[in-house]
Amino acid sequence: MRKYFPIIISFILIIIAGYVVISKKHEKSSSDMQKEQVAYIGTFGVQRKCARFPQFIKRLKIPQPVMIDLSQKRYTGISLYYGQKLEKTLHLKQWEQYEHFSTYTLDEQGNIYLVPMPFISIHPTTFNLQKNIYKLDTQTGKISIFMHFDDVKPTASNPYGINAIVYDCQDKTLWVAAIDESDYQSQKGIIYHINLKTKEILQRIEGVDVLSMALIKSSKGKFLLVGSARDSGLYAYAIEHNRIQKGAVKLLELSNSNEHIRKIKITSNNKLELQSIPFSYTLITQTAKKDRMYYQVIWDKTKKKWKIK
Amino acid sequence: MNREIKISIGLLLIGLLVITVYWFIPQDAPVSKTLKSKVSVGELIILPQYEKSIYQNIPEVKSYLYDIKKMIRNGQAVLPLQNNELDSSTRSVQNILLKDTDFLKDTKHEGKFLHNDMMRIVPAIVSSLNDKDQSICQIHRCYQAEKYNFVTNTTTRAIVNADEGKILSIERYSNMQPDISLRLTHIAQAIALSAPEVKKELGFTPAKKDITMANVRGTMKESPCENTDHLCVAPTFTDHQKEQALWAVVDLTELKLAAAKWAGLGKTTTPACISERSLQNRYIMKNFCQKNSVLEKNGWKITYRLTGSDGLEIRDVSFEGKPVLTSAKIVDWHVSYQQKDGENLDTSTETYIEGRRVEFVRGEGDTYLFGYNDAMGCPLFSTSVVLAFNGPQVRALKNGNGFMLTQDFRNPKWPMACNYRYENRFEFYDDGSFRVVGVNKGRGCGDNAIYRPVMRIDMALDKKENFYSYDGAWKIWEKENADRLSPTPVNDLYPYKIISADDPQKGYYIEPNYGQFEDNSRGDNATLFVTKFKENEGDKDLLTLGSCCNLKEDGVERYIEGKESIKDTNIVLWYVPRIRNDARQGHEYCWADTMIGEDGNLHVTVWPCTVGPKFVPIGKR
Repeated sequence: MRKYFPIIISFILIIIAGYVVISKKHEKSSSDMQKEQVAYIGTFGVQRKCARFPQFIKRLKIPQPVMIDLSQKRYTGISLYYGQKLEKTLHLKQWEQYEHFSTYTLDEQGNIYLVPMPFISIHPTTFNLQKNIYKLDTQTGKISIFMHFDDVKPTASNPYGINAIVYDCQDKTLWVAAIDESDYQSQKGIIYHINLKTKEILQRIEGVDVLSMALIKSSKGKFLLVGSARDSGLYAYAIEHNRIQKGAVKLLELSNSNEHIRKIKITSNNKLELQSIPFSYTLITQTAKKDRMYYQVIWDKTKKKWKIK
Repeated sequence: MNREIKISIGLLLIGLLVITVYWFIPQDAPVSKTLKSKVSVGELIILPQYEKSIYQNIPEVKSYLYDIKKMIRNGQAVLPLQNNELDSSTRSVQNILLKDTDFLKDTKHEGKFLHNDMMRIVPAIVSSLNDKDQSICQIHRCYQAEKYNFVTNTTTRAIVNADEGKILSIERYSNMQPDISLRLTHIAQAIALSAPEVKKELGFTPAKKDITMANVRGTMKESPCENTDHLCVAPTFTDHQKEQALWAVVDLTELKLAAAKWAGLGKTTTPACISERSLQNRYIMKNFCQKNSVLEKNGWKITYRLTGSDGLEIRDVSFEGKPVLTSAKIVDWHVSYQQKDGENLDTSTETYIEGRRVEFVRGEGDTYLFGYNDAMGCPLFSTSVVLAFNGPQVRALKNGNGFMLTQDFRNPKWPMACNYRYENRFEFYDDGSFRVVGVNKGRGCGDNAIYRPVMRIDMALDKKENFYSYDGAWKIWEKENADRLSPTPVNDLYPYKIISADDPQKGYYIEPNYGQFEDNSRGDNATLFVTKFKENEGDKDLLTLGSCCNLKEDGVERYIEGKESIKDTNIVLWYVPRIRNDARQGHEYCWADTMIGEDGNLHVTVWPCTVGPKFVPIGKR
């Protein structure tokens, strides 16, 4: 019997080694899978902005701080608050001409580009107003239609049209989104990339409903971050050679599925502030700060995942 | 080297070779399995069909409610953990905390105790403590205790040094819910097990062994119920064969089933994706906004659907095979408030109350009116502001002589001030009568409100219809017109009738509501309009209709300006009741109030006002 000991020991050694290898491999593959689940866009810091404030504010000798208000609480359209406690208001009657705006972006000249929103009730003009990008001129302080989209068609079952915008300082273009064609079954929103000077549409990304946008430069390149109108996710499109080359990757999802990201702000290194609302393609009614949720989102470099507070 | 050693070396080498090859073979099977389960399983949402009272006789719930009421009567507000969750150390920690004024600081409001539960007491994790507490807890036994305030939706967390009997820190987290106690876990399981909807879905009466993960939420996360204001958990029934699970979302603040959902076992269907509101929205959209439903009952056949802004609409209604209605719906609720001091009214800038644009209209003398129009409808992809909750429900009438089809519409924050709740109801009687009903459940912005639901009723008697009013004799209406109803019957209980031009026996009397329907109504005080049918006058969704606040007009006037002939034609009835709310104690009407009850929880009391005319077949008088 003793002569078989070497064979028995070999068997035992192989079984032990096999067990160790199998468990290690399983561990490795699970961690690989986990790694794959978290989309990584690289590390990032506060972005240098080219945006300037409108020149007419200087001419009116209005000192900083100045805040742009689109809450529609006190004034229709746009209003500016200024003074140390932002207690003073600048609002022109002409700024009410195109009714309500949801968000804006500034260029390096100080022009403000605005996108509309249907607010509380529907008027005969409401649907038509959702088809435009508006420009508040830096010199004259007047709002006019900057660009009209014939193919944007809001209806009673989806009163939204153009609804998100961000200015790209690098190539002097606008990234704009529209969600008018979407319905309950399908996501048919469009992201437009527009040459600011020629108003030429440089690229159209179809099939995505966007509620908010922000541009970010990270250690892995340039990305267009978008908050979805459809769910509570934050997504990223990689921009290469001034174009979106492939589909979006999902970065994270808010814990409350009713909340949709409507503002994205880079607050410090690897840190975002996300503002959310319960969006359901019905009329916007609640615009006060208390109706918003705020999330601090941090990219944890060591754990390689997003931490949401 | 003998033979055995050679064999053992050979075995070792072959074994190592096999292990090395195995290490380098790519392992992709688990990923594909996950993806497969993600795509193969659909989603089915189930909303509760029963009142929450059905759960109150469950022994676990009954004894829990008894203990809470007893505790509040005894002047305490925190239900302690039971002995089976405590040892001697945690018991002493609980005793310390339940005597500490700081820990109990948020348990009373305006002299009333608020329902709190101690949720758990566990050894503190040193790494999660601040530096000061860490140094203490490294040498002493420290415990972390959590209580939950059901009224304020706040979690209080305390760190206690059990060796010295000292509280080291107390922190409160508003709008956060903790992990639940064992007692609440058992209650959640008991509710899920006894829910008729769960039994029906599973196809058998489940037992405790069938449940997994009763306490699925991680610590301090947002609740999926009632816009995250309630404490919820999701006990789950797993069907491994079908790779599906039934998530039963149990609301522990209300002690009821909030919703249920069949979902796959893949990663996309974790409880974080389950929210009562989003489940409701998806269910309503799929079943009632995207398609028509048909109800056949007691000789009635009714097609119904939820609209984008005109509430619940019934269409193509017949009784015993004979057509009755083409369409009936409430297209709008005009809400206006009367105020004095109109001379000082400044309308130079727009005003908004709770997210609504307020319209101002000068009234008589020193008064003015302000308010808005409330559109009701689908919760997604619509132009509504008062949204459908749950789906349309079918219920028996109180007297057992028929049934109703009803839909609840709410502002999500109801019954807070300036938020509204309306019910669209259609009552169908066994004798062929029917009633179009609007119910207002408050609360609104004040005690001086005037509500006007605009009802549109398109009968299907014939292509040629005629309308008559009675003032001692029946008189036909030749042209489009309106009539203000008297608050009490004058000549007859039925002052109007609509009949087929070809067959005078085919038609209905109209019986306005004078308060005779035993629903505590104070009458309709309505205006009736009769117009010639036009497709663009409300047959499809009406986005807006007139002013909220001009009491001289109801909005329908625009459709009778032409005074077109309505003799022998397809006609449409518009019925606009006028209700004044009342907030005086003991006289409440169209009102809702929230109070802290004897169980220390918030309770909503509703004083509804119910309006709408009844239609009685000509032959049934």
